[in-house]
Amino acid sequence: METNEQRLAAFYGISVLLTGFNPMELWGTGMVEPYFNVVMNQNPIPVVDAFLDTARTIVDRFGDNYERAHDSIAEQLMPDSLYGGLAQNIITLWYMGNWGNEMVSAQSYIQGLVWDAAYAHPPGAKQPGYGSWHNPPLNAPAPTPAAQTKKKKAMPMEEAHH
Amino acid sequence: MENVEYDVVIVGSGIAGCVMAKTLTQAGKRVLLLEAGLTAGINLDRNGNFYNYQDYLNTYYNEMAKVPNSPYPDIPDAPSIDVLDIQAISGANSPSTKGYLVQAGPLPFGSDCLRGPGGTTLHWLGSTPRMLPDDFKMKTLYDRGIDWPISYEDIKPFYEMAELEIGVAGSVAEQNGPDVTRKKNYGQDYVFPMEMIPQSYLDHQFIDLVVKVNKEKPVKVNGKPVEIGFTPTPQGRNSVPNKQYPYTAVVWDSGKEELVMEKSKYWDKKENTYKTIAKGEKYEYRPIGSNWDPNTGQRCEGNSSCVPICPVQAKYNALKSLAQADQRHLTVKTQSVASRVLIDPNTKEVTGVEYKTYAVGDSLVYETNIAKGKIYVLAASAIENAKILLASNAANSSDQVGRNLMDHLCLLTWGLLPMKAYPYRGPGSTTNIPTWRSGEFRKEHSAWICPVDNWGWAWPTFAPGSDVSNALAKNIFGKELRATLSDTIPRQLLLHYECEQLPDPENRVTIDPAYRDPIGNYRPVIHYNVTDYEKKAFEVAKDINDQLFEAGDIEDFTAYSLESNPDFVGYKGKGYNFSGAGHIVGTHRMGKSKKDSVVNRHSQTWDHENLYLAGCGNMPTLGTSNPTLTMTALTLMAADAILKKLKN
Repeated sequence: METNEQRLAAFYGISVLLTGFNPMELWGTGMVEPYFNVVMNQNPIPVVDAFLDTARTIVDRFGDNYERAHDSIAEQLMPDSLYGGLAQNIITLWYMGNWGNEMVSAQSYIQGLVWDAAYAHPPGAKQPGYGSWHNPPLNAPAPTPAAQTKKKKAMPMEEAHH
Repeated sequence: MENVEYDVVIVGSGIAGCVMAKTLTQAGKRVLLLEAGLTAGINLDRNGNFYNYQDYLNTYYNEMAKVPNSPYPDIPDAPSIDVLDIQAISGANSPSTKGYLVQAGPLPFGSDCLRGPGGTTLHWLGSTPRMLPDDFKMKTLYDRGIDWPISYEDIKPFYEMAELEIGVAGSVAEQNGPDVTRKKNYGQDYVFPMEMIPQSYLDHQFIDLVVKVNKEKPVKVNGKPVEIGFTPTPQGRNSVPNKQYPYTAVVWDSGKEELVMEKSKYWDKKENTYKTIAKGEKYEYRPIGSNWDPNTGQRCEGNSSCVPICPVQAKYNALKSLAQADQRHLTVKTQSVASRVLIDPNTKEVTGVEYKTYAVGDSLVYETNIAKGKIYVLAASAIENAKILLASNAANSSDQVGRNLMDHLCLLTWGLLPMKAYPYRGPGSTTNIPTWRSGEFRKEHSAWICPVDNWGWAWPTFAPGSDVSNALAKNIFGKELRATLSDTIPRQLLLHYECEQLPDPENRVTIDPAYRDPIGNYRPVIHYNVTDYEKKAFEVAKDINDQLFEAGDIEDFTAYSLESNPDFVGYKGKGYNFSGAGHIVGTHRMGKSKKDSVVNRHSQTWDHENLYLAGCGNMPTLGTSNPTLTMTALTLMAADAILKKLKN
């Protein structure tokens, strides 16, 4: 029988690999424990335990190295047929804040990772301030020549405004 | 029965009702305002207002489908239209009765509005372009629709008043497009109360791209190259006060007997009186902040959620106007749903408004009362106004009540830009393409305005949620998922071509005793379709869009289907979806003659001397402007007429 602390650690570790966000980014949302609780409360415990056992093996072996962990996760966690789609549901939970057709909480919406991935902010919260939208986002990578030319067809875009 | 007789009874606390109430009470008239929605929503006390509004915001956060009405209570006894109820109307589903509207079709009406304190201004986007001079004479110029009984020159002073009332931010100098010159449309010296809301980074990326297209491979219409233009959109949200703006208030001048734009008087909310600015004292326009704290919301903070809710109330809403009414002369009755106007069969005057007051939103018991005034104003929305009039056999000698229901038909197009423009930031739209707002082509097909959208593909595809689920469907996870989303979402571009729908008498609101709400009021029955005039605009706009996407290297993801949106039409072998714009217009139009219109140029019903109608229902045609500004100007014209009438 596992303790909840052990389960939580495995959930946190695999969340890093499943989302592509680093441990401190996830911790900073304040949602690690609330989401762990959702997963525990919304699924049969044996299914969660089986999932977390596999997750722990992967995390123990690869740490937070996505490239090395990729194939194991793809084969052992991601397939819909395994664990009732739990891996995908956990990713959705982190990115969008919902479990099934329900938003978990106001905070889960506000902390949705999709807004960070998009260099945006959740509409209606974390407002970036007057006129901020006139400039590129503060955290956006500087445009690279490669990024600007990669889709070139009829229109030369090298001189695109930035 | 009421034992108080008011000067004016107003039905509805949306923008028309609130601006009317403010203007009349400030002129010393006693006003009763009836509102169908919940009492909590109209709380002008600071704490109550704050907590109620935070409750809206919290509801919004928790909703999965963040549609325009999602933050606000849907009250069984005063239901609101919900866009989530829209269904295709088929042989087996006719009429569609899901939700509040009874949709008789053949196409479902695609827009909603909010029945509740503040009305639809709680979830409006806030775009406030004026109509064009051409828009007022569609029949004369293009042999389509009908002329207005007023010209642009007639409404122009009231546009200025409306722009002060709403608090418009914009650049007059940069307004351009067909039928627009600074001198003709605005006057050489006119400025908006606030400086323009900065255009988005996305706007600038897109404009740069289109400028290149214009130069190197311009789009062609009928074989001729056309230069696509841009203009920053005036908006009813707070920015930086314009130091050149001279006006302080819209005031009833009892000497001149007219509403005037004042430069030296301002309304003191605490003391309920006008004060005069001391000579030599410098005046600067002061943005109006939130209703719970004047220091909050004096500037837009970039919440990117104007629709459905501005968390800081930097965007105008009607309750800001109501807060400036002379509270000594204002009585508000909430949870009070107007059901009928009562008419004296001999004099044809209205003798009262019958309304039903419910105790809680879903109670089946209610109390029926009659409100009495010298003058009555229905300002309950185009659909509700028509419904009340039809239920009362009122104002309908022309048989035009409920007819000519219109909306802007939005043809959405979306694609991926070749560069990152970072949408999902800033107000919903800060720039528009005005190029097809007017022209000779209006003889053949609708004009349109084309806002450049700042919120990615959220409207057509429910992005970015759909981007996450699409990636997951391909089993993409981890760093690859993050990178995919970081690459594609910032390149999302959405345009929507808002096409003008012509007045059609068969597009209409009717009532049917078979369809009622829980307290016995009628549910609106909607008959709705579009004609080849609008469909041809879809064809032309889509062709222009396809050329632009191709020349601009914008990867096209636009897809139309009945499955994705029941407002699906075919034209010349191609299918198009259109979405409603929330611009519900035209059910009791004004006109030159009582034969073909419901109200005269003063918004007074031809049939009942003491009954006025306010709201978008008065508009004979739609033009290509978001209608709220025009409707507010018409409301101020009506307030002017009512004050003149009460004087006599």
